[in-house]
Amino acid sequence: MRLNWQLYMLLALPLSFFIIFRYGSMYGVIIAFKEYNIFQGVMKSPWSGLDTFRQIFAMDNFWNSLKNTFLLNFLDLIVSFPAPILLALNLNELRLSLFKRFAQTVLYLPHFISWVIIGGIVYQVFATNNGFLNEMLGALGIGPIPFLTNPGTWLITYLLVGVWQSAGWGTIIYLAAITSINPELYEAAAMDGATRIRRMWNITLPGIAPTIILMLIIKVGDIVQIGFDRPYVLGNASVGDTSRVLSTFVYQLGMTSGQFSMAAAVGLFQSVVGLVFLFGANALARRWTGRGIF
Amino acid sequence: MLLKKMWGLAGSIILTAGLLAGCGSEQQNVPDTGANVPQERVTLKVGIFDRGNSPSGVTVTNNYWTNWVKDSFGAVESYIDVEFVPIPRSGATEKVNVMMASEDAPDIVFASTDNLLPYNFAKQGGLMDLTDIIDEHGPNLKSYLGDVLEMGKVDGKIYSIPGKRVYQGRYTSIIRQDWLDELNLQMPATTEETYEVLKAIKAAKPDSIPLGFALRQSSIEPIMWSFVEPLNEEQRYTMTQQLGATDFPVLLPGFKEGLKFLNQMYNEGLMSPDFALDTDGNQLNEDIMNGKVGLYSEDTGKTYNSTPGIAAKLIASEPAANLVPVDPYTNSEGKHAKPGYLPNNFYIMVPAKSERAVEAIKYLNWLASEEVMNTILNGTEGQDYNLVDGVPQRIDSQEVADRMYNAGDIELMTSAVDYGNAEMNRKAMVSSVAEQFRARAEKSYEIGETDTLNQIRFPDPIEAEIKYGAILGDLYNEMLVKVVMASPQDFDATYTSMMDQYMKSGGQKILDERIQAYAALK
Repeated sequence: MRLNWQLYMLLALPLSFFIIFRYGSMYGVIIAFKEYNIFQGVMKSPWSGLDTFRQIFAMDNFWNSLKNTFLLNFLDLIVSFPAPILLALNLNELRLSLFKRFAQTVLYLPHFISWVIIGGIVYQVFATNNGFLNEMLGALGIGPIPFLTNPGTWLITYLLVGVWQSAGWGTIIYLAAITSINPELYEAAAMDGATRIRRMWNITLPGIAPTIILMLIIKVGDIVQIGFDRPYVLGNASVGDTSRVLSTFVYQLGMTSGQFSMAAAVGLFQSVVGLVFLFGANALARRWTGRGIF
Repeated sequence: MLLKKMWGLAGSIILTAGLLAGCGSEQQNVPDTGANVPQERVTLKVGIFDRGNSPSGVTVTNNYWTNWVKDSFGAVESYIDVEFVPIPRSGATEKVNVMMASEDAPDIVFASTDNLLPYNFAKQGGLMDLTDIIDEHGPNLKSYLGDVLEMGKVDGKIYSIPGKRVYQGRYTSIIRQDWLDELNLQMPATTEETYEVLKAIKAAKPDSIPLGFALRQSSIEPIMWSFVEPLNEEQRYTMTQQLGATDFPVLLPGFKEGLKFLNQMYNEGLMSPDFALDTDGNQLNEDIMNGKVGLYSEDTGKTYNSTPGIAAKLIASEPAANLVPVDPYTNSEGKHAKPGYLPNNFYIMVPAKSERAVEAIKYLNWLASEEVMNTILNGTEGQDYNLVDGVPQRIDSQEVADRMYNAGDIELMTSAVDYGNAEMNRKAMVSSVAEQFRARAEKSYEIGETDTLNQIRFPDPIEAEIKYGAILGDLYNEMLVKVVMASPQDFDATYTSMMDQYMKSGGQKILDERIQAYAALK
């Protein structure tokens, strides 16, 4: 301690950040157990025990949101998770470095576009009546497809737009992992006459397997956490039963209706379920591969 | 707390210094003599709606009218500095909820025209009791608002001040007269005739949208309420559901028939196919301006106003186009029943923590004086308007339009100058409309006021409506979309399941509470 006091000083700053802004603000969750009055503040509002939770569990919309959160995240995991891996494998095989860099940049770009703007683009492209895509399909004699107004097709649109937005950015971490693979392995394999596909399958993939598992654990832990922007922006009244998720439900309760206690309770419930999933995924990963993240 | 005050002090010193620096050389000495001014200067924070429509070069908090208010009110109450605080018009309730919770609300704050928000705040102890302050400092305000002020009472005390709504009509339908002429059709006067006209338009112009429709109350309500059966008092009180500022007909007899009618229109391709996505009405406006729409309903007067300039833009591309107001839907009694507005405008509140309640009332009282109202709403004679038959007619120019764009949001106490009779008021209201549309706009205001249904209010709001209103409002839209877009054979099943979901999500609680409240009323 005395020897390395400079290092502890350096650590103190980020540590105090976490204590003040991450743990300090957690006392706010107690409003989930109170009848929160915005004018009396957190401490003076009367306690209400588990009443808030009872009210939430009695709401149809809550169970619907919970189900949709799992559904959307689970499907997203299946569709969006492999996409950056495939993309990274492909990018890695590109020989022309100029083209490779160009392709990478083009693939990253959607990540930097806000969901609000993507939402606008999606409406322009996928609308049933004047959407660009349906007008093209119409010219080919294919009847209008309700990409945004039918729950089934909406789900596909939602997932694919997600892939479009995030796949390119997701490749960064895999490309970094690929660079750490010993190039001698490739040379030796090439000597032995292994084809490109063979080399990808037997060298690159096993080489980045730990990274893939790490990413999977993180994703599974997040399965109950869902971003607000994407379902809120892409959702609409005709697919409300599918696009209503916990984050939009919290927004509706807290911001629109001013029911802050209920919103906090939903958020707390969400965190508890998320924690269960995180530990579950970690335990599974340890059993399958012998390594987890904690 | 001390730190906060010091920052505030530092801020006002910098602000004052900045103001004085701009005042020319001979006033440079004022700070030295400032200590002799008897009354301490105070800043009154006043909310103002930001509709995102400021002309280039100005903002909602710094434009012709905000400066005029600062100068003119400053001349009356020289110790008060007015500072405007923007409140985004869309999402105002959310923003004000957050402002109130973080004790960051301006001294004069408002969000909506419904009584639920002020009631909720008042019950939680967040609003200033204004009863005595109004008695002392608000004589104009009291005499101008009259009975409307009663609507701001909770438990017999005035906790909020509703502005006055002079014109209480709400919706008008507009039809393409030139299409009717072209196809040799009569102006429709009943729902059946309207349906026939829409079918004829579809047959003659297959690419058109006979009935323009958006997922907005202005599209939905004129049709749905025309299907509602005549009600007795008990039914109106108990079976109406107030979600936000508006009464919804979900449980009323005839609601299902209304949905059935829309379902038929949708399945026959007579209405906007993507209405479910059009929650802001922009798609509908665009379709109308591109000459695709035959009939639509809207917030009264919108078509002819200079923003977004629907009629003007349509005529620019299709000179023969003629949008005229019409009253196309009839109920079982043959009346053109449609909802109207209550006589109140936005509910203006003063937070309980505000230290400027007296100044706030002085300000509102000043806004309620006839001279100030006339000036803000009409502008300056010769510069913004000319008097024609005693009614100010706005001068038709971009400069005037840019100057007057948010005058209505500055004048909180009323929606318009009240001339005391409906015809005169209509004439005044259309005076800001471009001359070529004035006669049609006047007719449109007349239709908006015809056979209007009053909103129903209990003395105290229904608690369940405060709690579930927002969720049920969204669910109502979902129900409408799903049921209208269902195939005709699925109509009944979809209706039943959505209705069930609606009742379970709070609709039943509202109904129960209303039945109790009605029993208590008797």
